[in-house]
Amino acid sequence: MSGLRVAIRGRSFGDKSVLGEIGFDLEPGERLALLGPSGIGKSTLLGIIAGTDTGFEGTVTRPDGRIAVVFQTPRLLPWRTLAENIAVVPGAGDLDRARSLLAEVGLGEACDMHPERVSLGMQRRAALVRALAVDPALLLLDEPLVSLDPQSVGAMRDLLTFAMDRTGATVVMATHDRREALALTDRIVELGGTPARLVSDRKSPLGRDARRDPRQVDDVYREWFEPDSFEPGGGAAA
Amino acid sequence: MGTSTRGIWPALSLLALVAIWVGAAAVADAEKLPGPVDVWRALLAQVETSGYFFHLGITLARVAAAFLIAMAIGSAIGIALGVSDVANRVFSGWLLLFLNLPALVTIILCYVWFGLNEAAAVTAVAINKIPNVAVTLREGARALSKDLAEMAAIYRFDFSTRLRHVILPQLAPFFAVAARNGLALVWKIVLVVELLGRSNGVGYQLYLYFQQWDVATILAYALGFIVIVQAIELAILARWERYANRWRR
Repeated sequence: MSGLRVAIRGRSFGDKSVLGEIGFDLEPGERLALLGPSGIGKSTLLGIIAGTDTGFEGTVTRPDGRIAVVFQTPRLLPWRTLAENIAVVPGAGDLDRARSLLAEVGLGEACDMHPERVSLGMQRRAALVRALAVDPALLLLDEPLVSLDPQSVGAMRDLLTFAMDRTGATVVMATHDRREALALTDRIVELGGTPARLVSDRKSPLGRDARRDPRQVDDVYREWFEPDSFEPGGGAAA
Repeated sequence: MGTSTRGIWPALSLLALVAIWVGAAAVADAEKLPGPVDVWRALLAQVETSGYFFHLGITLARVAAAFLIAMAIGSAIGIALGVSDVANRVFSGWLLLFLNLPALVTIILCYVWFGLNEAAAVTAVAINKIPNVAVTLREGARALSKDLAEMAAIYRFDFSTRLRHVILPQLAPFFAVAARNGLALVWKIVLVVELLGRSNGVGYQLYLYFQQWDVATILAYALGFIVIVQAIELAILARWERYANRWRR
């Protein structure tokens, strides 16, 4: 089984160059965070990795097997119920399987409702279930925790970990939130500049259990992102 | 306003119209504007002696055939033009030409070219309607979501899944508009077609009784017509639209 190999030389829209040279290799099952401010080109990069954007220079080698994407907007079919949204995907199983998967993520009661009648958090959970229903070899997540209320963020973070563990997929997650990146992934690359390039590429010192502990995440956060702060125990507001 | 009173208003308003009709008929020459009772009698006479329902049925069959053909061909053309920029640039001029071609010209040409037969009649009606359907569906196809198309590609939707679950539901409101406008248009043109080149159907009957100056019978056919159109609208189109929109918030 192979992982993901990204070797992009550039991506422009018209005469505006959005992405510069970007390259990284992921082991099968490795989880990567693409970190960078909004508008830097993270979604563009994810589109290239997903294969929906072919207008770039360079090559992307994807693992054998299916690709699943959890988009920033859930992109569910509004005229199908949550369960139907999963069951219509080829290879995702029938309605009963969709309902039981939804029940596992706490959407048992909502599984026969239409997306516009449930909250954004619930829609995104359903979109995540759709992704794991196809048992992907490559899972792409675009800002999976953005614009959720604080309670939903915690639940969604647990759910993401559950989904990644369950599929064993190679994961690329785009995010602007550094703590989120530390809490969920093995390796963090930062995008910066125009056109965007990799400005850092670091393996997280936190193992998969350790990163569930908010204090350990905080420690690495301060060490990595606030090198000027020497106050032990926190208090350094960003 | 409660649901019980809301249903009353259209009925009251229709009653008022009938009252005005009765009043006008009382004042006017009975031959030129017969009252509701006379029209009812004329209708019964048609049912008994002249095959009222036969003529309505024939017209209805022509409407159905022309409507289905026009919806199928018009949708295909419209979707193709909406999806492909090249096709749109090449053919949108043609569409404009057919949109502005007078119905009467199409009808006459169809009869001249294909003969005074059923196929020519239905074709003439369909050709009148196809450009309207195409224009409506072109707008629908242009508005198709790129986000959902991307999602469908990533999750490996096959062609039929994509059509059934992604594309057609987005086009449903445009089909509804095309169907509704189209039905109104087809109804009117089919009568002209019958008048010019058929020996049965409501259009032919209207022509016949126009020559006899029989306004009561003419109104009797018009009423039957209105009732059927409304029934189709309420029983089929409105219900289907409600079903297609059930997911909206």
